[in-house]
Amino acid sequence: MKTNIQIAETIAAYATEAESNWIAKQKALNGKALALAFVKVPRFISKALIEVGNFKDWTLDQVVRVDLLTQLDEANVDLLYETAEMQEAVALTRSLPYLTNPEIFLLRATDAVRSNIGPVFDAIAFGNTYPKDYFSKAAWNQLVLKCIFNDKAIHQIIGLDERANQDLANTLSDFAHERWSAGRRVPSQVWRLVPKFMNESLHADIEKLAQSENPRDVQAANLVKQEVQNPGSTQGLWHELEKPEPIYTA
Amino acid sequence: MNSKNQNRFIPPNMCQEHKNIGNPSHFEGTEQEKTTAHAVDGTFAQYTQGMKFFDPHVHMTSRTTDDYQALADAGVVALIEPAFWLGQPRTGLASFKDYFASLVGWERFRSSQFGIKHYCTIGLNSREANHEALAEQVMEILPLFLQKEGVVGVGEIGFDDQTAAEEKYYRAQLELAKEMNLPVQVHTPHRDKKKGTERSMAIALEHGIAPNMVIIDHNNEETVKSVLDQGFYAAFTIYPFTKMGNERMVEIVKQYGPERIMVNSAADWGISDPLAIPKTAALMKIKEVPDEHIRLVTYQNALDAFAQSGQIQESDFINGLEIDQTQKFNGNTVLRGGQAPRVNKDSLIIR
Repeated sequence: MKTNIQIAETIAAYATEAESNWIAKQKALNGKALALAFVKVPRFISKALIEVGNFKDWTLDQVVRVDLLTQLDEANVDLLYETAEMQEAVALTRSLPYLTNPEIFLLRATDAVRSNIGPVFDAIAFGNTYPKDYFSKAAWNQLVLKCIFNDKAIHQIIGLDERANQDLANTLSDFAHERWSAGRRVPSQVWRLVPKFMNESLHADIEKLAQSENPRDVQAANLVKQEVQNPGSTQGLWHELEKPEPIYTA
Repeated sequence: MNSKNQNRFIPPNMCQEHKNIGNPSHFEGTEQEKTTAHAVDGTFAQYTQGMKFFDPHVHMTSRTTDDYQALADAGVVALIEPAFWLGQPRTGLASFKDYFASLVGWERFRSSQFGIKHYCTIGLNSREANHEALAEQVMEILPLFLQKEGVVGVGEIGFDDQTAAEEKYYRAQLELAKEMNLPVQVHTPHRDKKKGTERSMAIALEHGIAPNMVIIDHNNEETVKSVLDQGFYAAFTIYPFTKMGNERMVEIVKQYGPERIMVNSAADWGISDPLAIPKTAALMKIKEVPDEHIRLVTYQNALDAFAQSGQIQESDFINGLEIDQTQKFNGNTVLRGGQAPRVNKDSLIIR
């Protein structure tokens, strides 16, 4: 299976001999013993940062954990979820797309969106293909809105353009109105979600945005207008606005 | 201790409590020291500038974010939250499981938002050990939690009432600690403390646990000598009314020196003070305890004792929390420890 090859290649490239030996021994286990091996990973495996390939930006211990999870039974995956320490919860969440039957863990994935633990939320929201492939429209919209609500940079969500939709654009408009009433703003790049779904209310929002004193908002308004006129012409142009804009601390 | 000796580091009725429990203060400060103590009340932080603290016993689950902010401001860089009872007994295994999971999950994250490294010890506390049917189930899930990252010991365990059931689960958990090579954080009883402390140490030795792997907690003037003489770590809880006051603590450090002694707050849902360590450090400074001794009893000794678990790296917190690589995606840091927005507590306006 392709995933297993990618995992094996990554581990081979980054693990020391001692680490590889430990992993081989654990992979001979199953059931609760294998679940315990998952728990013990940081005692034996470094957190070396993976710099290339499919697992870029993961740490080695996380890759080893996904390796063990791919051969763990569902009941024990549940046990790990229920007892997860913070880094374990992150590893479990990042692993979701690589599990044998990812769809059966949908509730775990939407629970990660509900999580108040920043790194756990980030593990489902960013650099993870699971939401794009398995979330319903409602769950997807909740994920994107929660990112915006928490001032997290949405360009890190995989499938952002592909899964943009009218409901999300409308709700974004409502949310922006709430923020504006409170004397606050929304991060400029979120307006990339609306060009395909323009209506009267959104047109008014973009006009208001164009009058903003914030040059980033003006830039966003211009990009939306350009995209509406020439669909596809702004790809890559949002890059400058792709950064965290923590409005409460700014 | 008469009323003239009171200073404002402790509430006035503490002295009364002393009288009641027949445990006189060992504060023998000079008039000049007392004057100084009055003068610095509320501004003790000027005496602890540049100091960093490690609180090896504090129940943050029971505390608010105001406390986290105060701890961070006072120089507390890392802490250990021992598993304990929550003020009333749990009625099922799931409550224990969720509590342990919160110690390694939610509370760990909450602490990181204030730039404080959060570790914990996991164990079945003495009171709930008396509920044997449930205790058996808890013992089953302990190994899973004890092997988790950042779990630095088995704790807090030991005696409360000194019942047979308490002894049974204390022994069983000592065996777990031995098997996993983890330090043990031992709660000593409020009542019949001296005997309970001796018994706790004797049983640990009987199980072949090295005394340097055992932290005997909630010591006082009556227990400290034996604990140190036998090679154990001696922890002191600075807690109003029922445990140690910090004036008495200063005298103990002066008398016994800093070796294997550590101070903690054990702040919890009771009337307690999460700033007990910085306040005690300030008092030690005022009373001319050498800086190095202050550092040992408010930071280094706790670090050394619990680092024997292999789960504490000073580099993880001493210069602020590292930005965890797992929290970086596509080159953007989405969360940094210690960067929770600060709230000005004195401001009338809430934005």
